[in-house]
Amino acid sequence: MERRDFFKKAAVTAGAAALGSSTLEAGTTHQPVDNRKPMNVTFPEKRPLIVYSDRPPLLETPREVFTSALTPNDQFFVRWHMPDIPTFIDPDKFTISVNGLVNKELKISLNDLKTKYEQVDVTAVLQCGGNSRSAFTPTAGGIQWGSGAMGCARWRGVRLKDLLDKAGLKKEAAWIGFNGSEKAAYYETPNFIRELKLEELDDHVILAYEMNGEDLPYLNGYPLRLIIPGSYSDSWVKMLSNITVTNEYKKLFFMDIAYRVPDNETEGETPEKKFPKTKPITKMNVKSIIGYPTNGSTLSHKSEVVVRGVAWDDGHGIKKVLVSLDGGKTWKESLLDSGRLGRYAYRAFRFHFKPTGYGKVKIMAKAINNLGHEQPLSKDIPWNHGGYKYNGIDEVTVEVV
Amino acid sequence: MKKLLLTAVLAASPLFAQISAKGEVPYVAFPVKMGQGFDEVQANCLMCHSFGYIINQGKQSKKFWRGKVDKMIVHFKAPINKQSADIVVEYLFEHYGNGKEE
Ligand code: HEC
Repeated sequence: MERRDFFKKAAVTAGAAALGSSTLEAGTTHQPVDNRKPMNVTFPEKRPLIVYSDRPPLLETPREVFTSALTPNDQFFVRWHMPDIPTFIDPDKFTISVNGLVNKELKISLNDLKTKYEQVDVTAVLQCGGNSRSAFTPTAGGIQWGSGAMGCARWRGVRLKDLLDKAGLKKEAAWIGFNGSEKAAYYETPNFIRELKLEELDDHVILAYEMNGEDLPYLNGYPLRLIIPGSYSDSWVKMLSNITVTNEYKKLFFMDIAYRVPDNETEGETPEKKFPKTKPITKMNVKSIIGYPTNGSTLSHKSEVVVRGVAWDDGHGIKKVLVSLDGGKTWKESLLDSGRLGRYAYRAFRFHFKPTGYGKVKIMAKAINNLGHEQPLSKDIPWNHGGYKYNGIDEVTVEVV
Repeated sequence: MKKLLLTAVLAASPLFAQISAKGEVPYVAFPVKMGQGFDEVQANCLMCHSFGYIINQGKQSKKFWRGKVDKMIVHFKAPINKQSADIVVEYLFEHYGNGKEE
């Protein structure tokens, strides 16, 4: 009895929070936290990374890794939602099922997937929608990531479309549900399931079994995961076990409540007054990160410094990355790599300079994409309660000695 | 355009047998501030995630911690009764609080 009452009360409090309470704190945005260090604990197939949690595993890639267009598998960030993930999967026994509104249900082994379908490669950035969430004050809901909840890899697999064609979609088919193998510890906790609208899936969506030429690491979704180039990673279901075609959308916590931003032009709101209408985060915005030098490093006076970093967007492509050494008063163009990894990949940039003075220098990087969208200053990014889609101009401060 | 993005792979890829048996995810001993109420945290909050997941939020107001505990109950169906929830909020505010009620 008492418990039922409490549930009711809790629901009311949550509702009140949504409508806004009396606090008059404005939301502000700043550079994300950048002082966390890798922990000296090794997770399976990983080098030491920044650790937020062991159950579920939540590991962040340190800034200095982002100097090249591909992120090594053993330094690639890790994000699971549920504590219970299989610790062993037998590749000879594993199958992926396609069922629901299809003419022929499929159960495909890993071997068949690798030999009976056309194999394709795509290099794409995988970034959590909450990457850099620690930039938001007051604290936005979720893990307080620095800038390393992301990476870029070459993924190999088969097109989702080829599997669906093989199964044959029925006329009413409209949604596709993806199930991973992670399980909640408590049976009533909503599972992490994704549903995608059929019409939003294109040829670039693949089921990948390989990452940078190796099997997917266990913590990145072995043996098979969804790759949706250009979209945030909440839809890139890991340890994919089942694909179900349906005609209607089911209500799902992780789609209806999490991973959403205010549905208005700036995608902003205030902590005391949440915007009532929300939309899914879907496509990534334009962003860049400086990998070298890192905050607090020392550079020698009159040395030849090459600043390096990476820039990306949702696939429109990076036009240029500008660097400023004077707090944003003047900007100079950096050199971009060839771009041969394709428009969904990181573009590595580099910028040469010779520090002629002494003392602190702030290095800033700003990417501009082919649509002309450019990164705003961090303080100009509107706050949102989920702490999603931060893409402020990156800054590192170094000491010239 | 399509060709540029997804390069078809011609040769069938070799089958890797990189993973033959799997080790465990290591346990991480997150620093815990011991104090009154921690036993309720242990009993109610560590079944779905580690302590690290909780303290990563940093120092927060009482209202913030109350909101998180409510979120666990409403959205994630955590089976926690009112007394325990209150004790957990007090514990978190005492040890991971910023001193502000709101
Ligand atoms: C029934 C399972 C369950 C229990 C029990 C539970 N949590 Fe959670 N908790 C979750 C899930 C699920 C998430 C979010 C996971 C995700 O987003 O991937 C979460 C996330 C969090 C977060 C991160 C912030 C956020 O907004 O997501 C905090 C803090 C937290 N829990 C605190 C607590 C505390 C304190 C307790 C004990 C009162 C508790 N949890 C008990 C399931 C649970």
